[in-house]
Amino acid sequence: MPKHQIVDPTQERKPGKLEFPEVPLNAYDGTIADELKNLGKDALLGMLEDMLLIREFENMLNEIKTAGVYEGVEYDHKGPAHLSMGQEASSVGQAFHLTVDDHIFGSHRSHGEILAKGMSAIRKLDDKSLLAIMKEFMGGECLSIVESNIKTSSVKDLGRQFLVYGALAEIFGRKPGFNRGLGGSMHAFFTPFGIYPNNAIVGGSADIATGAALFKKINRKPGIVIGNIGDASMGCGPVWEAINFAAMSQFTTLWEDEMKGGLPIIMNFMNNFYGMGGQTSTETMAYDVLARMGAGVNSDAMHAERVDGYNPLAVADAIKRKRAIIEKGEGPVLLDTLTYRYSGHSPSDASSYRGKDEMDLWHNVDSIEWFSGELQEAGAIDNNGLETIKRDIVSVTASACRLAADDAISPRIQASFIEDVMFSNKQRDSYDESREPELLEVGANNPRIKLLKKRSRAGIVDGKPAPKNKVIQFRDAIFEAVLHRFKEDPTLVAYGEENRDWGGAFACYRGLTEALPYHRLFNSPISEAAIVGTAVGYALEGGRVLAELMYCDFMGRAGDEIFNQMSKWQSMSAGVLEMPLVLRVSVGSKYGAQHSQDWTALCNHIPGLKICFPATPYDAKGMLNTALRGSDPVIFFESQRLYDIGELFEPEVPEGYYEVPFGPPAKRRDGSDITIITIGATLYRALQATDILEQKHGLKADVWDCRSINPLDYEPLVESVKKTGRLLLASDACERGSVMQSIAQNLSQMAFDALDAPPVVVGSRNWITPCAEMEDSFFPQPEWILDAIHEQILPLPSHLVTSNQTTGEAVRRARMGV
Amino acid sequence: MATAIMMPRQGQSVESCVLVDWLVSRGDEVKEGQVLANIETDKAVFELESPAAGTIVDLFFEEGDDIPVLINIGAIGSQGEDVDDLRPDPTTLAAAQTETQTTEAPSSSALPAPSSGATAPPAAGGGGGISPRARNAAARGGVNVNTLAGTGPGGRIIERDVLNAAANMPHMNRAAAEAASQGMTAPAQGSGPGGMVLARDLKAPAEGAVGKPLSGIRKLIAGRMHQSLATTAQLTLHMSFNATAIMTCRAHVKEKGKSLGLPNITINDILAYNTVKTLVEFPEMNAHFLGNRIAQYPDVNMGIATDTERGLMVPVVHGANNLSLAEFSVKAKQILKDAQAASINPDLLSGGTFTITNMGMLGIEKFTPILNAPEVGILGVGCPHLQPVMRDGEVTHIQAITLSLTIDHQAVDGAPGARFLKELCMALETFELTTGG
Ligand SMILES: Cc1ncc(C[n+]2csc(CCOP(=O)(O)OP(=O)(O)O)c2C)c(N)n1
Ligand SMILES: [Mg+2]
Repeated sequence: MPKHQIVDPTQERKPGKLEFPEVPLNAYDGTIADELKNLGKDALLGMLEDMLLIREFENMLNEIKTAGVYEGVEYDHKGPAHLSMGQEASSVGQAFHLTVDDHIFGSHRSHGEILAKGMSAIRKLDDKSLLAIMKEFMGGECLSIVESNIKTSSVKDLGRQFLVYGALAEIFGRKPGFNRGLGGSMHAFFTPFGIYPNNAIVGGSADIATGAALFKKINRKPGIVIGNIGDASMGCGPVWEAINFAAMSQFTTLWEDEMKGGLPIIMNFMNNFYGMGGQTSTETMAYDVLARMGAGVNSDAMHAERVDGYNPLAVADAIKRKRAIIEKGEGPVLLDTLTYRYSGHSPSDASSYRGKDEMDLWHNVDSIEWFSGELQEAGAIDNNGLETIKRDIVSVTASACRLAADDAISPRIQASFIEDVMFSNKQRDSYDESREPELLEVGANNPRIKLLKKRSRAGIVDGKPAPKNKVIQFRDAIFEAVLHRFKEDPTLVAYGEENRDWGGAFACYRGLTEALPYHRLFNSPISEAAIVGTAVGYALEGGRVLAELMYCDFMGRAGDEIFNQMSKWQSMSAGVLEMPLVLRVSVGSKYGAQHSQDWTALCNHIPGLKICFPATPYDAKGMLNTALRGSDPVIFFESQRLYDIGELFEPEVPEGYYEVPFGPPAKRRDGSDITIITIGATLYRALQATDILEQKHGLKADVWDCRSINPLDYEPLVESVKKTGRLLLASDACERGSVMQSIAQNLSQMAFDALDAPPVVVGSRNWITPCAEMEDSFFPQPEWILDAIHEQILPLPSHLVTSNQTTGEAVRRARMGV
Repeated sequence: MATAIMMPRQGQSVESCVLVDWLVSRGDEVKEGQVLANIETDKAVFELESPAAGTIVDLFFEEGDDIPVLINIGAIGSQGEDVDDLRPDPTTLAAAQTETQTTEAPSSSALPAPSSGATAPPAAGGGGGISPRARNAAARGGVNVNTLAGTGPGGRIIERDVLNAAANMPHMNRAAAEAASQGMTAPAQGSGPGGMVLARDLKAPAEGAVGKPLSGIRKLIAGRMHQSLATTAQLTLHMSFNATAIMTCRAHVKEKGKSLGLPNITINDILAYNTVKTLVEFPEMNAHFLGNRIAQYPDVNMGIATDTERGLMVPVVHGANNLSLAEFSVKAKQILKDAQAASINPDLLSGGTFTITNMGMLGIEKFTPILNAPEVGILGVGCPHLQPVMRDGEVTHIQAITLSLTIDHQAVDGAPGARFLKELCMALETFELTTGG
């Protein structure tokens, strides 16, 4: 909401007509003769070779999947293989003009794109650089297997064999594969050649590629980004979000100076006219022609075009022209690259949804047949030459297959290795030491800093909690941690809804607008999937990012991005990628059923995420400092109940930098009669119950704040339970399946012999959250905690219960499903 | 229509019974009145007869289950009949079981009673039991958990119950404690440093000893006895009396009783009957100590401790103060016989206000009887023995009997106890058959 851009009614209310730019369809009209002149014979023959290589590679996998044998090598490949026979020209044409600095992201059907981009990189790299890349990658393990088993004639030849073996070993789940076999067919990639993650989630690459382009733009990196996704992915919400995000007006209206201009990205749809079995343009989609979609996005119609992906030269031409547009700062671009797959969606596909006559029509215009015929006609190659190339290629794929199928040569990674790559656990002050961070007013004149100078850092003054407007609050602690990292790491960017100007819906970022240029702090569209997905792309390109979801309840909108992307790329890359992405998530109350939920359990269930939920200003700053200096994805939960509290446990919130580690829970009270564990804001209600326990019943509770949910050090909790023998856990999450239930379960195992009663969880009811006035019937109350202790752990003399915390009631509720 | 086999209520005070064993199994044909199972209350074993003829379609409980009364425990009907209607509702059952537990908790306990809450008692997870922590503490401290009453939710034995019990036990090392919790017996003082009991101090059960799980009655006795010693302040006073008078009476009854229309009045009857009469004059001795109050009773319900095959039993002669000696003698004989036969009405085994116990026939001269808490007094009777006395300047011998009165010093002080005993001895020394009427 920048104030200088006026929304003027006289303009907005004017009658008129909206004109759309024309969207060209298959406009390329070059000939082989032209291109032989423009690009040279070798280049065109190279294209043909690469198309043949892809065809043979996919043929090999088809043989392996359907017959269990290829060129005498018997092998049973249990995993997936989504083949791309028929689509070779689209990927080879695309890769032709790409440099190593250009990054492609792909889909489940990207073997062809990997090989095409890989061959393009091999051709463009000088021998020395190429050799260095291969030698460095995973300690040269992949290279040495190729070198010691296969004769090659040159470094480029070695490079090709390396590429084919590395990709195949990855598809077969082998340790020398590009991702140690942890990615597999649908996720294989090789960043040194500019091949970035392929994604098994349809459309998954759209927002990640957009984030990669954001990274390139903000950090002034060379190259463009291509997001290769299928035609059917145009039906996915996150794809639309990504397209809009990539085309946001602010890149041209608000971002300053050299930062002005659109994102360097081509959203390329490999349009083979089908999803799995659903026809897109005539059945499941509305667009008729996919390229039309660009017209609805911005006034440039995203420079959308349909390109004939059965002619590699047409595709190469399109990429060259679109790159020029992007380099002028006029991106993003949408391409509808038409193509056709001969193979089924996967080997189990019986092609029940299309007829032989249709397939014959495409076979009749097969791009390899056509292209090799044209080249022969033009005298660029003869039949013998063609046969030699084909034989050569079969020897490359056969050698790769022999090595990759061999358990001794290509073993599998030890399962324990996966444990080592779930997190990268690095501490990095900056992801680019070579640059100074770009900052505006971060000194004493910054209005927030000025304000905070006047506030008490101690939360308790003269034995009493300090008044809220005189104390450093939780939200101030967040601000200080964020600003600190902005001053240290030039790659750090923060965005989310209403982050700039407004300062975030809960005012944590007030003062950051004055401190940072647009390209380091900006407002995102209301696109939770794209917020997280672009952050994933930004982070895996090597930049630190702080994204925000205004309410935890909105996480569902970013489900795939949190659960499949943010959490998994470090480990699916076998530790090649880092994911320095912190996602701040605010947990609400008072706003009813869709604004009050604590979904820590959903995140905790997903491997690969670090999760914390600080409940005090001291921890908020210390843990955010830790998260923002780390290299791992962190879901950083905050409670809206706590944004205005001061520090009540530590002497003060230090002005300087400090870290609170992930893992250890924090002890808030010392006692030996019962252990109480809480998460988030529930701590304060549990402390009220603790006071009553002590005053009325002479029982002292050992109270633990489980600020770090994953990782979590159980030792102190086990010790506490061993001491007290009694355990109650409380949090504002709905009780069923909550984090508390899993901690309770773990502690039951770890301290079984010490227990004097079963661990008891007090959570919110398994209901919708009612209106603010009725919340005390939904969220755990201090009395519920006392009642639960009385009924299930230790009868409290003369205690009168006000809620039903009996096991009989729990059985009843479970039977009702509430 | 199938017929329910119901757990009968064996007397007003019985809330639940233990199913000792099934004598039939599913699918068996049974006749009406056929014995189906043996059932044990906390006081007696009885037989459960079939309410109908037919096939045993289902049995809802296992041997050893503690089952609330008036609950269906099985069904008789025709082969394959659906008897789900007769199956007890699991929640009712669980709740009923908990209730039973609560009632059994000792009323004299100073510990808080479970749940004063407005809600239903726990349905699942309760039902007594013992926490892992309490079990460990018991193993460490050598506490036999079978004798404990739980104070946790639903009567669960929790750590504090064990610690309270352990406070009354000798100090043991780990090995000894473990052994003790398995049933070895520990001396009060051991051979370890500071009198610590070591494993070698424990008395092993004799060679070839056979391990035997505790029966319900044995468990109950164990609990009661331990409870008694743990919760009362017992003081025993001894006094002998000249038994010539009562022995003369006994000889007289033997000789002429039948012709006089008298029942076979025994020394025991005379002793108990005189105790009843004396108690009427000492109401503080005919009382229960209930922790925060003492209940004195107008009627004397005289418990008579007796040894049976199943262990110690105390049948009670209710309203003994309203009976003549002859009536008392008849009643006492009947209940003692019933107790031996295990068929006694359970109500006759409870409600005592004072107890008398005689070990004289076993040659015991005097002993320290254990109170039948919450009663505040128990009288032990020894065997007659010759005692020298000075009469007219000469030493002569009389037949004497020593009485051992244990009182709960919490309720009664030593002096009134002594006065009661003195009064009783005088009554016995001057007893004549007619006075007893
Ligand atoms: C989110 C999601 N939904 C469904 C699937 C199952 N699926 C895998 S590929 C595919 C069809 C995708 O079609 P398209 O995007 O056109 O790519 P193509 O297979 O044609 O290359 C489907 C439905 C998936 N992997 N991810
Ligand atoms: Mg498709």
